[in-house]
Amino acid sequence: MAAVLEPAAAGHPLRLAVHAMATRFELVLAGGDPVRLRAIGEETLAEIEACEAALSPFRPGSQIARVNREAYERPVPVDPDTFALLVACARVHRASGGAFDPSVGPLLVALGFRGAGTGDAAACAAAHAAVGWDGIDLDPGWGTVRFLRPGMALDLGAIGKGHALDLAGAVLRRHGVAAALLHAGTSSVLALGAPPDRDAWRVTLGRAPMAPRIRLRDAALGVSAPRGRVVHGIHGVDLHHLLDPERGTSAANGVVCAAVTCPSARDADAWSTALAVRGRALALPAAAAGVVALRTDSGAVRWHALGDPAPWLEIPSMSTSPAAP
Amino acid sequence: MALQPAWSRFGRLQPGRAPVRVAVVGAGRQGRAILTELQKLEGVQVAAVCDAVAGRLRAGARRAAGAAAFADHRALLAEVKDLDAVLVATATDAHRAVAVDAVTAGKHVYCEAPLAHTVAEARAIARAARAGGKAFQVGLLARSDPIYRLAWSFHRAGVLDRIVAARAQDHAKTSWRFPSEDPAAEAALNWRLDPARSAGLPGELGTHQFDVVDWFLGAYPVAVRGRGTVRVHADGRTLADTAHCALRYQDGVELGWSATLGSSYEGRYELLQGSMGAIRLAWTAGWLFKEADAPTQGWEVYANRESFHDDEGITLIADATKLAKQGKLREGVSLPHPPLYYALVEFVNAIRAGTPVACSAEEGLRATVLGVAAQRAVLSGSEVAIDPKELELG
Repeated sequence: MAAVLEPAAAGHPLRLAVHAMATRFELVLAGGDPVRLRAIGEETLAEIEACEAALSPFRPGSQIARVNREAYERPVPVDPDTFALLVACARVHRASGGAFDPSVGPLLVALGFRGAGTGDAAACAAAHAAVGWDGIDLDPGWGTVRFLRPGMALDLGAIGKGHALDLAGAVLRRHGVAAALLHAGTSSVLALGAPPDRDAWRVTLGRAPMAPRIRLRDAALGVSAPRGRVVHGIHGVDLHHLLDPERGTSAANGVVCAAVTCPSARDADAWSTALAVRGRALALPAAAAGVVALRTDSGAVRWHALGDPAPWLEIPSMSTSPAAP
Repeated sequence: MALQPAWSRFGRLQPGRAPVRVAVVGAGRQGRAILTELQKLEGVQVAAVCDAVAGRLRAGARRAAGAAAFADHRALLAEVKDLDAVLVATATDAHRAVAVDAVTAGKHVYCEAPLAHTVAEARAIARAARAGGKAFQVGLLARSDPIYRLAWSFHRAGVLDRIVAARAQDHAKTSWRFPSEDPAAEAALNWRLDPARSAGLPGELGTHQFDVVDWFLGAYPVAVRGRGTVRVHADGRTLADTAHCALRYQDGVELGWSATLGSSYEGRYELLQGSMGAIRLAWTAGWLFKEADAPTQGWEVYANRESFHDDEGITLIADATKLAKQGKLREGVSLPHPPLYYALVEFVNAIRAGTPVACSAEEGLRATVLGVAAQRAVLSGSEVAIDPKELELG
């Protein structure tokens, strides 16, 4: 499910976009000298492209491709931003009880989410055996990554867009931009300040008439849904891309959409993924990270807000519940 | 026809006993790209980073753990001990000061292209490089790009037969403006838009592409016509954001070149069109298009093909036979690293093993002279003759 961005209230904000990470990043900048804003916006898009060049497992020259090739043989150095991203991955992995785990790389490959795949049960089982963040060794002293098991691979697809948005947001802030909305394919959103004459940027989750609306001001939104790319898995079962690292197959818990807002787009991405994988069982730790909305389908599709949604979340006829599931 | 060497033969670093200690001067976008690629090279240590703009210096230093930070390159040259090489990625009009000082200090130098924004400055750099006696490599990346070298070997073997025309373009959608955290410093950062400091689109972009065509033709143009306009970015600039040039060679071949900052359509490529086929080169990928009556090559059976409307391009990829047997042909169709990586590998090899640099100062001078002449043609709207004597250092 995608967030729908509502138009800014005043003036004609500047819009710039770039294709990166197999999606479209868009930038809406409001207020200030348009010539300078464009230059800042282009610098921001360049940061997003540099981030893709660092993280893409498909580019042999990227840092993550090098990690995946060499990290079992020896520790591989990565740049400070990428190291900070991996530390954030470790943190959410721990807090989510393993629901968020970017070491699912070999499984995504074996199942066919990253190319042709094998469709072979033995290969999938072997790939699953390699999965597990406990096999990732991060050395903060040297800024290096090491794999403790053969066959491991990182796939940062569930957090890379949020990470790129956080880095992009930092560029904007450094240049004094007060109001901006950035999004990656509408599944990851970062808001700086608010549009002129408004109290917040407004984002609608999906297009349904009863869709919840989220007000974002200096906050990020991550949305995950078990839709998008589906592969025909082994045993003739269709799989979606949200893999449960523990079970080694697609998550199945009745979650139709999970949305998380918190200060960091990277955290919002990671937590929305974890929630979509484990569902309401993770409500408590997820709500500790940010505000959460969960749409489930157990007979009737309905939205739940977990934690304290006010004042950011407006869910028509919403079921609110305490953080505990 | 035998295929040329595998990617793995390109970009192979010569081993060295001691680390090569380098400094990067200029930490803008290009300087940071250099720092990113240097990180991949075993045994290369970035000892220092230099930029007069504090925010850029910070961003550069973050990419080089343990590197000393300097605002002035002279202080860097005076203070950093055991420095082997300096990589120059400053504004084009600052290349001369940094490159000449580095050569004088006895350093190996890698200098971005164009060498300078005027012919006089470019000649001064090339003269210093020749007198210095150390490795001096110019950042004309086609010369070290494995795809371009593979294409060149096909061309030399006669695949195109007689070249009838050449075309090149660099199309992007960008303002070419750079923001500064300190708005007062923005004019200094935006030297590209300053006619006194920049050779415009032909100088900054064309230089790289003119070099490709000269290399393949084995000749240099005798005249250039040009025109340009501010088509999209009407923000007070006077330098054209859209330009066209025609470079005429002695034997009648013409290179049609266009650049714009207003549209990204078809991006950046060079096309060499011969009577038996055409080669299209786009920096990280390349294709061969054959005429129907061109002889068949044995290796084509393994080749990857891409459709361009009515034409079918054979992807230029080294080691296709081996990759096909491994079922990995698709994985190898584009360059594993950015072209810059291969240029830096050759530079480091020149330092370590004394191998020839990928692009000499003299070759850099020729391409720069052409870029500056093309900019003069664009500014004047008339034909500019190119004096062959200007292309030589003498």
